[in-house]
Amino acid sequence: MPLDETTSSATPVVEVKNLIKRFRRESGAVVNAIDDVTFEVAQGDFVVLLGPSGCGKTTLLRTIAGLETPDEGSIAIAGRTQFSSREGIEVPPERRDISMIFQSYALWPHMTAFKNVAYPLLSRRGRKVPKDEVARRVREALELVGVGELERQYPGQMSGGQQQRIALARALVNNDDLVLFDEPLSNVDAKVREQLRFELVSMQRKLGFSALFVTHDQTEAMELAHRIAVLDSGRIAQFGSPQEIYHRPATRYVAKFIGAINESLGTVSAVDGDTVVVDTGHGRVVGALVGQRVAVGDRVAAMWRPERGLLSREEPQAVNRWLGRVKAPMFVGSHTEYLLAVGDVDVRLWSPRSDLVDAGAAAWVSVAPEDVRVLPLDGDGRRADAERPSAAPAMVTAS
Amino acid sequence: MSGTGALLSDRPAGRHARLSRRLPGPFDAVTLLIAAVFIAIVVVPLGRVLTRLFWVDGGLTLEPIRKTLAIPDLGSLLLDTLILVLASSALAFVIGVGLAWLNERTNARMGLLTDALPLLPFLLPPVAGAVGWTMLLSPRAGLLNSWIRDGLAVFGIELREGPFDINSWYGLILVMAFYAVPFVFMNASAGLRNLDPALEEASRLSGAGTFRTLRTVTLPAVAPSLGAGLLLAVWFGVGMFSIPAIIGTPAGIDVISVRIVELLTFTFPAETDVAIGLSFFVVVFVGLAYWLQLRILRRGRHATVAGKGARAKTIDLGAWKWPARLLVLGYVVFSTILPIVALVLVSLNGFWTPDIAWSNLSFTALQRAVFDDATTLQALVNSLGLGLVGGLIGILGAAMIALYVARRRTLLAKGIDAAIKLPAAISNMVIAVGILLLLAGAPFFLSGTLLILLIGYLALYLPQASIAADAAVSGVGKELPEASAVSGARPFRTFSRIYLPLMMPGLVAGWALLFIRMVGDLTASAILAGTANPVVGFRILEVFTSGSFALLASLSTVLVLITGTVLVVVLAYTRRKSKLGVAARVGGV
Repeated sequence: MPLDETTSSATPVVEVKNLIKRFRRESGAVVNAIDDVTFEVAQGDFVVLLGPSGCGKTTLLRTIAGLETPDEGSIAIAGRTQFSSREGIEVPPERRDISMIFQSYALWPHMTAFKNVAYPLLSRRGRKVPKDEVARRVREALELVGVGELERQYPGQMSGGQQQRIALARALVNNDDLVLFDEPLSNVDAKVREQLRFELVSMQRKLGFSALFVTHDQTEAMELAHRIAVLDSGRIAQFGSPQEIYHRPATRYVAKFIGAINESLGTVSAVDGDTVVVDTGHGRVVGALVGQRVAVGDRVAAMWRPERGLLSREEPQAVNRWLGRVKAPMFVGSHTEYLLAVGDVDVRLWSPRSDLVDAGAAAWVSVAPEDVRVLPLDGDGRRADAERPSAAPAMVTAS
Repeated sequence: MSGTGALLSDRPAGRHARLSRRLPGPFDAVTLLIAAVFIAIVVVPLGRVLTRLFWVDGGLTLEPIRKTLAIPDLGSLLLDTLILVLASSALAFVIGVGLAWLNERTNARMGLLTDALPLLPFLLPPVAGAVGWTMLLSPRAGLLNSWIRDGLAVFGIELREGPFDINSWYGLILVMAFYAVPFVFMNASAGLRNLDPALEEASRLSGAGTFRTLRTVTLPAVAPSLGAGLLLAVWFGVGMFSIPAIIGTPAGIDVISVRIVELLTFTFPAETDVAIGLSFFVVVFVGLAYWLQLRILRRGRHATVAGKGARAKTIDLGAWKWPARLLVLGYVVFSTILPIVALVLVSLNGFWTPDIAWSNLSFTALQRAVFDDATTLQALVNSLGLGLVGGLIGILGAAMIALYVARRRTLLAKGIDAAIKLPAAISNMVIAVGILLLLAGAPFFLSGTLLILLIGYLALYLPQASIAADAAVSGVGKELPEASAVSGARPFRTFSRIYLPLMMPGLVAGWALLFIRMVGDLTASAILAGTANPVVGFRILEVFTSGSFALLASLSTVLVLITGTVLVVVLAYTRRKSKLGVAARVGGV
């Protein structure tokens, strides 16, 4: 299945501009499920929409599929406008020429695997696919996802993993440029999920379709994505590669949502280029800025990942070093997690060694300044989880 | 050849797309047209009745109301109606809630019988049931009465007649209650099934016993379901015509529904003014019941329904288990099986007598009464055809409307849904009168045609069709049709390939329900049918007034046979389908 040569690589496969979707709660309050979202998916890109439940990621996907109608903004697929509130355009889902995999797989229970997969070939308007070509392409798709032997079976006679593969075959059979995934792996058990994830990545890289994938599972997002859009209450908090999102989180929300992180709140006492000195409850922390500017006197959060910290019994030669008391070492196999009380905060630290210090002992924690991210607190910092950037697009462009 | 660019070049989404935002697609347009027709056949006749109250021959008048208030026995007519409806609804409420509780919450539950209980009354249309009960409990010739007398004679008690008389207040209330029980039973069962078991468990843990929990927690929590059931029972009672006509009239018990039919059909010239005035009383009464129910239910906060899966532990009745089961079985035998037995015996015997000649039972009487009689045969053919066609039109139209309502949650969709279900709240009698007023004379001249009956049946049984179609649509879920749309299928294709096959078991069941209602109908038939367009219901009424009981029993037996056959076939079909997994909830729940 070759790439579509007619679509120039310069045209993004998906182009969403200033999209807004409002929902009216039963109380009468209006909530923006999608709040002024703008982003693009390039040809061959695997983009993951990541966020907790209720952040609007599925709604966003469904507006792109045409299953929900946004209130404002525009959506274009392969350069053609599918929705535009200003021009009064709304193309129904069956004319958008895309494929989608649903959370429940949505296999039609009254059709065999073969008929399920053949359905998109027979349904698209303006194109009569000859019978033998239908059969050939359905078999090809079923072989591709590794369930060629299931073609005569009904969905009710298959395991969850097999149903998932049929759903994938149905989405791929038309060679669409864009495939949407709505948390498709959340219903299969862990082992199968890992296997399917791996196959999905290699299949996408091989076939070259663009994918837009919704999930709340950060590990899944990290593994699958070229780029991740982290959603926060209907807005894109950050859009970037997995590495960027992990190492250079744009906001406290993103930093806290992806992986484990330590956080000390404090006041900026000095700024020198990208290096910032923060006074916290447990002493001075030196860290680096990511994108956003801060000034002396600003309330900020100094954040660092548990695997970046070092633990020692003797005082180390480091800029950031604090004395703490080990609360409980926890052996989890690949590493040991040490929980320490440092000043007024609890600090988590991961080390490959499990015999560094015992519970109750004093120990030094140190972390390199380039591993500490300094991020501004917006508002008064009361609701750290609901924090979002006050400036408009919090987009960090990849590459 | 992949996707987008190759197919539609680079032109920005064309005129096609632009239009789709503004105008409904062809599928929606067809649906809206059907909805408009369905609503019109209910609302226009209703409006016709209401305007006819004040507007006669092009002038404003109070004549109908004056004439109605001048009926000499208006007081007793209203009082009798009120007593009958309230007493039978109350009785049905007690029986229905009791049966529901036994079946849902205790170990007296009996699997298949529980599923069958709500279907039982469909097996025996009210007309046939009323005739069957007359055969059983008529003071002299009643079969059950005679068997009881024989039994008493063993103990030396000799009776000439009785001990029971069906043509009495208690007889009428009992039979009416039997037919109102399913409304209460189905609602109460659903309420009990959906109740969060934790509510009851918390009460038990707080130290309350089984019956205290039932009284203080369970019943108040399911009050809305019980209220809805009671309301349906009351509505049913007000609109019921066949049972009071057959059982009440000989006892001198006069109710509004029977009087309306008398005035329109058996009075010459028809006293339309008074019939309409009385219809107005019916509308007021039904509205009052609805308002009362709303008032009562609004007072308290009611229990919320738990998530799926949680099934309450059943209560062990201990030594009371078998007595409770016998009670349920006794109810089934008494309410359904006995009257069917009476009908079959009398029709096979050839004439109605308490001394059944067991050795001489034969089909000849049945054959002569039904198949050799040209009018009866014609009525039978008409009824079957109307049931077949009317059921089909009703369920398919309702299915398209249900789909529209489920997909578009707009104000228009909600309005259509409410309007379709409106006849449930208005007495059947009133709608039938309205259709007669509107279509029988100029400019339509549909009097005495099958078309006017078809319209009447459709208008009357739309709510049932709509409820059945809603259930079928909700069983399909959201994602299966969405997957079809994303695959490029247009709405008509999604309807025919995805919705229709998946809804089929539900639609077939809904069709059967409509068919049975239409074939067994007496309300619309009594008002809209005549000698030119006879149907079974009308024929039964005719035979009843002329007093040939063997023929009456034969007709009723045929009716039971038809409905029974349809029910069994449909049940077998839906069971088989659900085994194939078609009804399985694979799509998004």
